[in-house]
Amino acid sequence: MLAMNKFRILGLAVITIAASIVVTSCKDKRSTGWEYAPNMYEHIAYDPDQKNPNFKDGKTAQVPPAGTVPVGFVKFDYPNTKDGYEQSGLEAKNPLAASEQNLADGQVLFEHFCSPCHGTSGQGDGLVVQHGFPPPPSYSKGQSSRGGAMKDLTDGKIYHTITYGVNAMGSYASQLAPEERWKVIMYVHHLQTL
Amino acid sequence: MRSISLIFKQFSRSVLLVAGFAVWGFSAQAQGDAAKGEALFKTKCTTCHKIDVRLTGPALGPTIASETDDKWLTHWIQNNQALIAAKDPKALAIYNQYNQQAMTVFTELSDADAGNIIAYVRDDWKKMQSAKPAAGAPGAATAAAVDNGPSDLVIYGLIAVIVIAFIVILVLNKVIATLERLLLNKRGLLPEEPEVTEEHEPVDRLAILKKIAKNKKLVFFILLCGTIALGSWTWVSLWNTNVHTGYQPVQPIKFPHDLHAGVMKINCQYCHSGAYKSKNASIPSLNVCMNCHKVVKTESPEIHKIYDALGYDSQTQKYDSTKAKPIQWVRIHNLPDFAYFNHSQHVKVAGLKCQQCHGPVETMKEVYQYSPLTMKWCIQCHKRTDVNMKGNAYYEKMVAVHELIKRNGRVTEAMMGGIECGKCHY
Repeated sequence: MLAMNKFRILGLAVITIAASIVVTSCKDKRSTGWEYAPNMYEHIAYDPDQKNPNFKDGKTAQVPPAGTVPVGFVKFDYPNTKDGYEQSGLEAKNPLAASEQNLADGQVLFEHFCSPCHGTSGQGDGLVVQHGFPPPPSYSKGQSSRGGAMKDLTDGKIYHTITYGVNAMGSYASQLAPEERWKVIMYVHHLQTL
Repeated sequence: MRSISLIFKQFSRSVLLVAGFAVWGFSAQAQGDAAKGEALFKTKCTTCHKIDVRLTGPALGPTIASETDDKWLTHWIQNNQALIAAKDPKALAIYNQYNQQAMTVFTELSDADAGNIIAYVRDDWKKMQSAKPAAGAPGAATAAAVDNGPSDLVIYGLIAVIVIAFIVILVLNKVIATLERLLLNKRGLLPEEPEVTEEHEPVDRLAILKKIAKNKKLVFFILLCGTIALGSWTWVSLWNTNVHTGYQPVQPIKFPHDLHAGVMKINCQYCHSGAYKSKNASIPSLNVCMNCHKVVKTESPEIHKIYDALGYDSQTQKYDSTKAKPIQWVRIHNLPDFAYFNHSQHVKVAGLKCQQCHGPVETMKEVYQYSPLTMKWCIQCHKRTDVNMKGNAYYEKMVAVHELIKRNGRVTEAMMGGIECGKCHY
């Protein structure tokens, strides 16, 4: 009988441990936990990055209809070709005033968007490059793949490259607004002199 | 005698030295080509080329290994534009195959330099091909093993162990019971036992319950414990209802923030560029991923999920939008519609660090919700944070108005914009 008691106590202990594990595992990191009146928290409006059954492709973020121009959209009329690049290099000029503030903004934007590859000093030695990304040419010493030295690149050529990308570099048009691109160019001109 | 041996020693030493240098120099010259070529390759070519896979330009290993006309290769390396302009058929074919992207002109490279580069590429490509069969299956196996997160496995394992232990205990219990019965049987005490227990047990149990019920102190104690336990459970679970702290859903692509934001130190704004200019911090569209992953980690299955979603073919580097299908990321931070929150106000105007609300994202392999996002949490921060009014035109105006009130003692309707046309004629 003593042996039976021992087993009962042991069994009880095991049950409590199991129960406590089951109870604590109710807080599952994969679930949001208990919800009360969730319809207050679920969005009625569709968020741009959520799915949407009202459109054929199931996305909320739709491309604007053909032939329309979004409000505040700044056009850039030079095509993504060698001729467009050269043309833009001759004609497109920075519309922003060369102020301290614009240059400082440009530096911050450069550090956030460009320095991972181009490096904080524009030498093409950013952290991502150090981890195996193909190095871009240095702004001050390198040669451009489209001819000429990197330090001679003009406003329009740099703007064309940021807008469309070139070689291993992608287009930054979706991340940098036109005004921000011009600010970055201001700072790149500074780095070209280093 | 001594001097002769000394002279001989010196002589033999110098001869040996000269011979050694000669051999060393000879071997160095024999390797010279590839070594010089490697240095040149790393400074001039790696921007657009890799030896084994296509980057912006073709994979150089197979291309150069299969091309036997070194003179033409040298011409191409030094000035590909001239070859294209001269309508060289081979040059035009490559130019058109690679989307008419122009290659940098390297007129500064001599014929010998170009030869060195070609020698290095052929050498390295040969080495790569001979090394390929050796490194195959084991690497892939370990990578798969490393990928598995231990958390779920450990929990299920623990539960399984407990269940098994429980079953073992039950079985042992049964075995002991039968053994005991056997023992009693041997003594000749068995026949009437089962009936007796069946009649007596329910009565016994009720008696125990009645006994317990009569002990008022014990009853009170049990009730008190129950109330406390239930009460605290209710309290905690009510507080945590609709609070998603620690929520860590499985995302369709295993994007490691610890690698991108931690090791590579890519700024949050690079991908979540909306945080600085809009209400929404925005989930990056896939073209942002492709800024790098067009070139790096092209063999990873997770990256191939991006390619599939875009309809991108990594061999031809072309997009087919008819095959594209959106990736459905799982939202972690959800603020209800009835609470207005603007990222740019907090990031740009207040200058908060992203980590203040989102936690150490740069160390998270998988992102979870760090803050509770409750109203109490918002208000606590708003009560404790001092407003930085310097350099902010809105606040500076406000301070000016306060100064005015202090000096004048009176503020008229007109001073607050009360005679602006739009106030009446809107």
